Amino acid sequence: MHPTLRINGMEKQFPQDRLPKTLAELLAELKIDQATVVAEIDGHIIERKNFAAAALQPGQSIELVRFVGGG
Amino acid sequence: MTAVFYELKNSMIGIAGLGGLGSNVAVALVRTGAGRLVLADFDIVEEPNLNRQQYFLDQVGHHKVDACVANLNRIRPDSDLVGHKVRLTPDNIPAIFAGCHIVAECFDRSDQKQMLVETVLSRMPDTAIVSVSGLAGYGRSNDIVTRRIHRRHVLVGDGVSGIGPGIPLTASRVGVAAHHQANAILELLLDGDLRSLWARRNNGAGI
Repeated sequence: MHPTLRINGMEKQFPQDRLPKTLAELLAELKIDQATVVAEIDGHIIERKNFAAAALQPGQSIELVRFVGGG
Repeated sequence: MTAVFYELKNSMIGIAGLGGLGSNVAVALVRTGAGRLVLADFDIVEEPNLNRQQYFLDQVGHHKVDACVANLNRIRPDSDLVGHKVRLTPDNIPAIFAGCHIVAECFDRSDQKQMLVETVLSRMPDTAIVSVSGLAGYGRSNDIVTRRIHRRHVLVGDGVSGIGPGIPLTASRVGVAAHHQANAILELLLDGDLRSLWARRNNGAGI
């Protein structure tokens, strides 16, 4: 069975053994600049400095809020 | 006094950044009757700011905190205003906005927005944040929406319209976003699930 993550409410399927290992790897795969995103895993805020250490497991729910400039 | 004005009078709201968003959010909240605002910005009013920010030509060169406090006091002198001329960082944000029920994220740069939202959500468990992403350009008023992202996080904006070459920030569209933000703050102050959080912290006094 292919591993999945729920990203902003949408199921995303990854090839077998290709689930990103960490939040930082997921953001790189999605081409999202770490400096502009606030991330939650299963409802817990992950600070940007911990993105590379935040291990991902199949079935987790990830919320990514991206900021663009202007104010 | 109706409930909304009582809650607002007894609230403490932080405004992080006093540019196009913050200077407009502050005016809207003071006109509505905000009891206490904590205003933070390190910057000085420059002439190009007058295209969208609530300052006057004779305030060019003044600290935004001083100019904003002066303007708010002219509108309604009974709000309690606390100003901080400081660059906000993860280390000083929890102390500067200590006790605030809600912080309005009113920065310009995307990485600063990220830093503030992350800091409030991860280190200030009794404080909500209303942030903005995507307000550049003009028109498309109805693309700017208010969304509840997290129990303590409301996000305003179209999510995509960043600043860039040939994409101006306009008083009209920044104003739409700023007033979404002020309106979301009023809504949060009256929202039952957050009121229970604040009642606990305040031992039942105020909101």
